Amino acid sequence: MLHVENLTASIGGTPVLKGLDLSVGAGEVHAIMGPNGSGKSTFAHSLAGRDGYEIGGTATLDGADLLDMEPEARAAAGLFIGFQYPVEIPGVNNMYFLRTAVNAVRRARGETEIGARDFLAVAQEAMDLVEMKPGFLNRSVNAGFSGGEKKRNEILQMAVLKPRLAVLDETDSGLDVDSLRIIAAGVNALRDPERSVIMITHYQRLLDYIKPDFVHVLVDGRIVASGDHTLALHLDDHGYADYLNHELDDAAERPFSGASR
Amino acid sequence: MTVTTTAAAGSNPSPAERLEPMDVIDHPTKRDEAWRYAPHGELGRLSFGPQVASARSVPAEVAALIPKLDGPRIVMLNGVVDDAFSDVADLPDGLRLVTLADGVNQQPELVDAHFHRSAEDVADAFVALNLAFGRDGAVIDVAEGHELDAPIHIVDLVVPDEAQNASCSGVVIHLGAGSSATVVETRIGFGNEFGGSNTRTTITLDENATLDHVVLQDAPSTQIHLTRMEVTQGTGSVLRARSFNLGARYGRIAYDVHLAGESARAELSGLYVGTGEQTLDQQITVVHEAENCTSRQTFRGILDDQSTGVFNGGIAVRPGADGTDAEQSNDNLLLSNRAEANTQPRLEILADDVSCKHGATVGQLDDDAMYYLRTRGIPADDARRLLIRGFADQVVHAVDIEPVRMWINERLGHTDG
Repeated sequence: MLHVENLTASIGGTPVLKGLDLSVGAGEVHAIMGPNGSGKSTFAHSLAGRDGYEIGGTATLDGADLLDMEPEARAAAGLFIGFQYPVEIPGVNNMYFLRTAVNAVRRARGETEIGARDFLAVAQEAMDLVEMKPGFLNRSVNAGFSGGEKKRNEILQMAVLKPRLAVLDETDSGLDVDSLRIIAAGVNALRDPERSVIMITHYQRLLDYIKPDFVHVLVDGRIVASGDHTLALHLDDHGYADYLNHELDDAAERPFSGASR
Repeated sequence: MTVTTTAAAGSNPSPAERLEPMDVIDHPTKRDEAWRYAPHGELGRLSFGPQVASARSVPAEVAALIPKLDGPRIVMLNGVVDDAFSDVADLPDGLRLVTLADGVNQQPELVDAHFHRSAEDVADAFVALNLAFGRDGAVIDVAEGHELDAPIHIVDLVVPDEAQNASCSGVVIHLGAGSSATVVETRIGFGNEFGGSNTRTTITLDENATLDHVVLQDAPSTQIHLTRMEVTQGTGSVLRARSFNLGARYGRIAYDVHLAGESARAELSGLYVGTGEQTLDQQITVVHEAENCTSRQTFRGILDDQSTGVFNGGIAVRPGADGTDAEQSNDNLLLSNRAEANTQPRLEILADDVSCKHGATVGQLDDDAMYYLRTRGIPADDARRLLIRGFADQVVHAVDIEPVRMWINERLGHTDG
């Protein structure tokens, strides 16, 4: 589904991603973990098409070259990014925004648009999924939302947009236990053999709720270790010290158990 | 500017006598702060004189531009009431609605108060011209305790003709104690000829009266539109004024609000949307004269191409007006690097125990918001429109008369959804 090869990204002349390789198969859930400044968010936004990045390498989704597309075309191709800091948009009604997004994607795919009335049912289902109160959709997008509401709104958008690949950037940051539980339940409900998820996170906590098939460690712009969910448990106990302050070329070779240290 | 002072038959006092204030007031120049951004060359080409009924009737094309409101209506063409298009039959209980020309006899006190201005109250030459020539229009008088549901609609249509390209008109609004009403003033026009209009509305709100007042200004881009609202509010009265300054080469909307009775409240909000070479000018002064009054000024501008927006907002707190709560905000969205926003707060505080806040922003579309919308599949052009609409909606939403809101959204191209 997603194939990333030797992905590089520089921001203002400073290299952040330094040759990232990753393959994600259909239906798989991957977690990318790493210390602050390792390039986790830059990876998400390189895939999404944020302005101001100098990008190298390749990234394809279902064979389509993502890096060549405008952000909206990447969404139409099936990519969804859950923002670490969802943007507040005062004055733009949440419901109107959601329907505009869904119809823009449908239009781009040559599908028929969905009317206001039919969309209400779609939106209601998504609201139930993330336990949103009625009235939530009549507010402005993210404006004045609590941290938990903003993150739930991200998952709500994912639910109505039904992406092929969702990249959730620090979706767990700043959440209380209740919000974390709701969001995890939402993501789990959206798991599907045809839908893949990449969770970017600093902490192992989220992975207690959403069990990943694979865990990758991102350090200094490269994936330096990969494994199953036990890798996350190891990181939780030992931190990233194993992977820091070493020649990175060596780091990639090292077993993730940490035993060799 | 050209002024014709030939007296219209039967006018009393004669326009020449009414023009007296002109002798003591100079024409505005660029040096006057309140007229700094006005196109003075074009203002000088306006020609005023006694209003004469136009030989034309309201063109059908223009009639189609008028918002469709259910309720009484007075329609003017070039400052003279057009009976055929007006509808003052079946007025609700408690409402007297007559033309300003008829009001001279039927509502003499209100009409006298409208025209009676001492020289120092005449802010500028255009007020003087309006006093001289703004003889027709509307008088709205709501009796004590009556709450009127249907909006009262005053429409001013300007179709300049060459002999006299500018018109004057007046609206008088009086709300008796405890009454409430909604008044919509629509100013539009037709044709490609140069010309203009100069309107003046005087508003008196008695104790605990509530007025919702909307100005829709959408004159053709070849015209100048000048309007001024002079408001006096009694104890506990509420004014909610919304202005939409959308049309005209130069569109000027001025408010001069006096909070004369305790605990009065004035909420003024407005949206100006400029394209081409428009200059849209808001000149606001709110004077707190009594204790515990509240005022809000919330104005937003969206400026594209080479347009210019002006917000000159004043708050004056008179000695003794303790407990004043005044806020002012002006936010501007620039859509082109040749567009310009000028914002100028004027605060004059002569009382203690005053809360006075003001803030202004000038910015472009938020890059982060654009990116966020695009990652959701919304193409750049649509995302741009959505953000512009969102910015405008924060003012448009405050209008709770649905046909007016629809008219504004249609005018701004915000028709989907």
